[in-house]
Order: sequence, then structure tokens, then C-alpha cells
Amino acid sequence: MSTDAFTMEMLDVWKRPEPPAQQVETGFFTDTTLCIGCKACEVACKQWNQLPGDGFHWTGNSYDNTVSLSATTWRHVAFVEQFPLDGGGNSHAPRWLMMSDVCKHCVQAPCQEACPTGSLIYNEFGNVYVQQDICNGCAYCVVACPFGVLDRNREDGKAHKCTLCYDRQKDGMTPACAKSCPTESIQFGPIEVLRERARKRVEELHGRGETDAYLYGAEASGEYSALNAFFLLKDRPDVYNLPEAPRRPVARMRSNYLSSFAAAVGLAVISAFCFAKGDK
Amino acid sequence: MTPATPVFNQATKDVVKRVTPEAVREEGYYGLPMLKRPLWGWEIALYFFSEGISSGAYILATMADLCGSGRYASLIRDARYISLAALLPCPPLLIADLGRPERFHHMLRIFKPHSPMNMGAWALMGLSAPVTLLALTEFASLRWFPRRVVGLAGMPFAFFMLAYPGVLLATTSIPVWARTRFLGTLLGTSSMATAAGALAIAAALDPKSDEETREVIHRIENITNIAEAAALSAYVYSAGPAARPLTKGRYATMFRLGALVVGIGLPALVTVTRRKPGRGATIASGLLSLAGALALKWSVVHAGHDSALDPEMNRYGARADSDNPGWRPGTSVRTGVMRARQLPG
Repeated sequence: MSTDAFTMEMLDVWKRPEPPAQQVETGFFTDTTLCIGCKACEVACKQWNQLPGDGFHWTGNSYDNTVSLSATTWRHVAFVEQFPLDGGGNSHAPRWLMMSDVCKHCVQAPCQEACPTGSLIYNEFGNVYVQQDICNGCAYCVVACPFGVLDRNREDGKAHKCTLCYDRQKDGMTPACAKSCPTESIQFGPIEVLRERARKRVEELHGRGETDAYLYGAEASGEYSALNAFFLLKDRPDVYNLPEAPRRPVARMRSNYLSSFAAAVGLAVISAFCFAKGDK
Repeated sequence: MTPATPVFNQATKDVVKRVTPEAVREEGYYGLPMLKRPLWGWEIALYFFSEGISSGAYILATMADLCGSGRYASLIRDARYISLAALLPCPPLLIADLGRPERFHHMLRIFKPHSPMNMGAWALMGLSAPVTLLALTEFASLRWFPRRVVGLAGMPFAFFMLAYPGVLLATTSIPVWARTRFLGTLLGTSSMATAAGALAIAAALDPKSDEETREVIHRIENITNIAEAAALSAYVYSAGPAARPLTKGRYATMFRLGALVVGIGLPALVTVTRRKPGRGATIASGLLSLAGALALKWSVVHAGHDSALDPEMNRYGARADSDNPGWRPGTSVRTGVMRARQLPG
């Protein structure tokens, strides 16, 4: 190799390649009123993404033996059984609520804002994606996420979560969970189409007397952005183990910095006075 | 229950203990936490302790150099050495904490003001050069070296290193760290107190230091202790119920006895009882300040674990209010707004 060619190759390392062209934003609409709790999404996700098992254990309190999302579980079906335990309490008829939980792919994602390496990005489909060749396992995203989605794998030391089947989308395919869902509880598509469809669905349900149906994350709320993977729910969010009003950590960062810097500079100035004055 | 196959996640380990048939009666979703446990432990607690001494000693040395009219040569020299000695363990501690230590330099592949951890990595880089230069030239007694200029040039980095640990923790979703505006102030003032304590010990031990130096650094130590006590009250008051893992949890003893009694109360007692404490009392009060700050940082870092795994705290941290109505039955607002409200300021 000539010296010139070698120099060019060394310089290439520092060049950032052009990002892929922006595509139509995609996401999930998970309609929990259609979920039958078959867990096909969990299995399809594990299979396509080649995720290992988590060590099987019976919870003994519901059909939910997956328990939570983790670095190796990117879809998790929650089972809520609302049957009065001691003959009273609930205002509604006894019912099952099932919800296939997933990374929310926030429009403004706290994990992406926290990530110090730039591993977490919004890809060309507007999905939040962990670049595995960049992540160094600092675990800041783990504590930044208000939904407790991200986790670090103990084997490879890196953060993992739902990729919204980036690889499948690149080939124009539907993500594995949505593809396998037998009741179309998990719907995949352009996010604007999904939001419109979800609004119509809520109206339809309200028309049928199911007035407790509402959309979780279809629109921004206060300081928190909309979610590109949003849900149709039938009860309070914490019933499904979702936060009622998630906070955006960065929203208070500036004022935290200000008071912290004020104290530091204040103490420095006071000490300067002490040094100037001496022991007089 | 011991899973038969290997467990790849901390999350699985954490929740497996909680899933029992009895949990069916618990509030929320079978008493399971919403959040994931922080993966930061002793490395980060020790890092916050060590980098606090380093940046605080750097600021005090530079102030003494700029405003002391040449009176505090021995103190400045001691502070420069302390600053370097405390900075040395910082990079290894941070690297050891990573899931992929060999990729530590990925922290520096971008510059990202949104991420306090990224900014902290740059500040650590920025501070290490002046700290090393000043300590080495002090050791070699190079008279021509522009100490004041270099010292002043490193000040922004030193201030950032002093101020950012609490802000880093507060820019998360963990209630005990995030539901307050004073965690940055608390850890920053505590860092300054440890630096003043370390300098007071050095001044008491250094045969070249004089009575005036000891008196001035002792005064600064008292002031920083008062500031730390004020910041601690502001933190506990502003965090309210979110401070529960610290005030009532597993780390309550360490937080109360360590941070409050050992770190602030006893050093104050030493000062109050004797107008001009002797060498032994100065060293004792300095060591108490250091121990107290270590207890404070250790308990604050570890209380995050309890806060994340407490479902009641999770719900409290994400409760709806007028600013953040959240998403609930009957709150369909239909604004069509996808992005969040503009950041304040």
C-alpha cells in the first residue's frame, strides 16, 4: 500500500457517512381491547431477534410469567385480572385486561437525550434505536427511561431494547410481533395513519358504551412528547404498570445546573474573600 | 425460585424475588416496579467523592493563588498535589463501571449538551490537563510557569466537575434523584466541604504552613459545612416523600448518622466548642467531614436502587398534575401535538 492510500484510509475513519434518507415515520398502535393474551408477539420477537430465554419461573399470581421488559425481552404481555377478591370493590363487571407492552419509541426520547456516546439515535423511520457497535454500557439510558424499558445485558454489557425490527423494516417487512398478532391488537404502519385509526377506534368504542377507552401516548402531554408506540387502554395506566404522567428528565436540567453552579461559584467567591482577608 | 437457565438481566433477577402468589393482592401491577434499577454502585459513589475533592481543591488553590497576595504558598502546593491525587482514581473508576470498559472513549466521539454524562466526560478531560501541569510544575518548582493563567483556564472545568454529579443523577426518572431541584447543589457543596476538609488536614500536617493559613482554611471549612447543611435541608424539603429511601429506607442510618451527624454536626461541634482548634482537633474535624461526604454520596447513589424498585415511589414520581395531565381515562385532549412543550428558560 502506498503512503497516500494509507493516509486516505486513515482519514476515512474520521469521515461520517451520509445518514440514510428519511422515510415515513412508523410505529405501533397496540389496541388492548383486541388482545387475547396468546403471547405470539413475545415468541415471534424472541425468535426473529434471536433473544435468549430469561430463565423460566412461575409467578403463581397470573398468566404473566414474563413479568417485565428487559434486555432480552422486548415484548411483554401484561395480564390484569379484575375480579373482586373479597366480593366487592370494583365498579365494573369482572374483566380481563391484557396488554402487549413494548418500547414506547418516544418522539422525544429521554434515553436518546441521556446517551453520552450517541449510540441511541432516531433512525430513518423515526424509531429509537440502540447502535450496538457504539454502546459502551454506561447504563444512563436505563435510569433515564420513565417506562423502565431499557436494560443492560449481563453477557455482552450493552443496552438492549425493541428495535421496532429495523432490519425487517429496511426490507419493507412488518415487525415480527405485529406480523404474528392473530387479532391485530398490534398494528404497525405509518404513525399518522395509526393515530387516525386509533382515534376512530376510540370513538367506535365510546359509541358502544365502552366509555373508559382512551389513548395512552397518542399525543404530547405537558412536558412529555407523544409516543410512536402508543396504546388503547381501558383503565388507569398504573393498572398496566405504566406511568400516569411520565416526566422528561431534561426539562429540569437547566434550572438544576443553574442552582448547582450558583452554589459552586458562590462558595468560590466567599473563599476568595477569606483568602484575601487573611486572619484579621 | 432459581431459574434453570442463565439470567441475562439485572431486571429479571430483581423481579423474580417479588413475584409470589401473594402479590396478587398488591396495588398496581402485582406490586412490581415500573422502573429499572440503576446499575451504578460503589464505583460511582467513590468517583463522586474523589472528583469532588479534586475539583474543590483545584478551585480553592486557584482562589488562594489569585487573591492571597502570595501568602498561602504551602497551602496552594498541598492543594495542587491533593487535586492530582484525587483525580487519578477517577478515570479507572468510571471505566470499571461500564458494561464495555474497552469502549470508554466512545464517550468522547460526540459533544452533547443534553447529556450531563457526556459533558462530564469532557470536563474530566479538560480538568486533567491543568491539574497535572500545576502539580508537576509545583513539584519541580518551575518559577517561570504561568500558574495563575493556567489555574484560571481550568476553572470552568473545575466548576463543572463540582456542579454536575447531582445534575447527572437528577436528569433521570428515578424519583429520589429527580423529584428535587437541589441534588446538584447538595453534592456540589458537599464536594467543596470535603476539599476544604482535606486542605485543613494538609495545613495541619504541613510543617511549612503557618497559623494564618490554618485559620483561613478552617474558616472556609466552616462556611462550606454551613452551605452543605443548608443544601441538605433544601434537598430533603423539596424532595418531600420522594426522599423516603434516604430518610426511612435501608440507607437512612448512613444518610442521617453519616452525612448529617458525622459530616456536618460533629465538625460544627469542634468549631463551636473551641475558638481556635489545635492540630489534633483540626485533623479530626477534617476526617469527619470526609467520612460524612462519603456516606452522603454512597447513600444518595444507592438510594436510587431502592427508589426505582419501590412501585409506590414509581407512581408518586409519575403522578399527574396541572402541568403534566398525563394520559388517563377521560383525558383525551386531541391537541394533535406530537412534540413536548418547549423547555423552560
